[in-house]
Amino acid sequence: MTSTPSECPRCAHETIEQLFTSPVPGVWDVLQCGRCLYTWRTTEPARRSRRDAYPDNFKLTEADIDNAIEVPSVPPLASRG
Amino acid sequence: MAYDDLRSFLNALDEEGQLLHITDEVLPEPDLAAAANATGRIGENAPALYFDNVKGFTDARIAMNVHGSWANHALALGLPRHTPVKEQVEEFARRWDAFPVAPERREDAPWRENCQEGADVDLFSVLPLFRLNDGDGGFYLDKAAVVSRDPQDPENFGKQNVGTYRIQVIGANRLAFQPVPMHDVAQHLRKAEEVGEDLPIAITLGNDPVMAIVAGMPMAYDQSEYEMAGALRGAPAPIATAPLTGFDVPWGSEVVIEGVIESRKRQIEGPFGEFTGHYSGGRRMPVIRVDRVSYRTNPVFESLYLGMPWTECDYLVGPNTCVPLLKQLRAEFPEVQAVNAMYTHGLMVIISTAKRYGGFAKAVGMRAMTTPHGLGYVSQVILVDEDVDPFNLPQVMWAMSAKVNPKEDVVIIPNLSVLELAPASEPAGITSKMIIDATTPVAPDVRGNFSTPAKDLPETAEWAARLQRLIAARR
Repeated sequence: MTSTPSECPRCAHETIEQLFTSPVPGVWDVLQCGRCLYTWRTTEPARRSRRDAYPDNFKLTEADIDNAIEVPSVPPLASRG
Repeated sequence: MAYDDLRSFLNALDEEGQLLHITDEVLPEPDLAAAANATGRIGENAPALYFDNVKGFTDARIAMNVHGSWANHALALGLPRHTPVKEQVEEFARRWDAFPVAPERREDAPWRENCQEGADVDLFSVLPLFRLNDGDGGFYLDKAAVVSRDPQDPENFGKQNVGTYRIQVIGANRLAFQPVPMHDVAQHLRKAEEVGEDLPIAITLGNDPVMAIVAGMPMAYDQSEYEMAGALRGAPAPIATAPLTGFDVPWGSEVVIEGVIESRKRQIEGPFGEFTGHYSGGRRMPVIRVDRVSYRTNPVFESLYLGMPWTECDYLVGPNTCVPLLKQLRAEFPEVQAVNAMYTHGLMVIISTAKRYGGFAKAVGMRAMTTPHGLGYVSQVILVDEDVDPFNLPQVMWAMSAKVNPKEDVVIIPNLSVLELAPASEPAGITSKMIIDATTPVAPDVRGNFSTPAKDLPETAEWAARLQRLIAARR
């Protein structure tokens, strides 16, 4: 595929990695955002693959990612006796 | 009839007219998920869907909605496809009593035919992965049977857990994984992380239809899902030894993924459209490094659509939620006739019960809230008389409309526990709970004018069975 998008549809981060490409050459790529890990196929509808069409409800900011809670939380290390 | 793998069950569904092979070319998105979503919008007894012509793929085989109708659920249990829901639940409960049935170990697992190891692992090359819902963070494995062991007691077969958890593919050999804190695998992970060790894990995809049912069943920590599968199948569950972890995995899986949950690591995950009909996510979850993938030649990728109910998920976890509640209630209250806990994994429950004396039905409702599953679910309980079928919603609505005097028969209890995913909880994990007593008052509760009910004729049950036989024979 040509024309890899320049930003993540979800968080607008500009580092995009290609995870996979279609076994039939040139049909689609699977891309992933290097920050929020959003993963999409280039043939998906604009509402999933373009920043300007991505729903506001699902957009993430750097602060959202940094402040995301841990589930489950990492437990304290047990003291070894 | 016990099926040993997904393929033999797909063949059986096909023979019963319950598998639709879609031969037209479809897009991976949004077609695969939209078609599976649509099975819940076309009336009863929707078929499983099988796709093998997916744009851009050369070798994709995808099965969806395998458990996604009452006909398919009946066939999964080896019952006739027209078996009514209430009878399916009763048969499920009857077979439960055979637990435990020891599994049968076999060494010739077909998933040994192919493998990728170490740096060669590429999940995308084995699985035709795709997105389900618009807001999902990526592509998910959402119908896997995941096997883990108690790191402090690794040889204990009963404590070896088989469960279904949501798993996001975040790289060719990396997965994000959601162990909800009350789930068994979360206990295994906690024990491993407390000593700074990775937790080995085996993720099995494309299993026989009873394996998928037991993997989603609320069972006790030391009860073996394989021994429950044997009880429900009426035959020992076939298992094999996974080559890397040494764990017991289903013999018939299409794909067996092995690796470790990396100790004390969390990474952003989700969101994912959940069984509540709402998304959850944007949280930091544990991550899995995949070290080996074993797979059958021409593997079938099984996935499940979930979103606004009803979807396949509701059929899959409907009866397996009703039965534990029924067993626990009947242990103390043999008057309980049937439990319908099929709405959002039992967030709402309908119970039919005979009354020992006035006020009894409300006590049954309170007990349902205090069962182990009830602590995290059961936020609304409707009680109906013993002659009302809780699976027959028009009958339930009749009981509510005719029997309930709201001032006395609706009881609301504040600040009780519920799972955090419950969208109405406030704060997350806390909710009020409600009992609606739609039973007929009995002495000394003498309220209302219920002395002359119009009951079904004594001969009606016999005629109902006769009509069903005649209708079935006509097909």
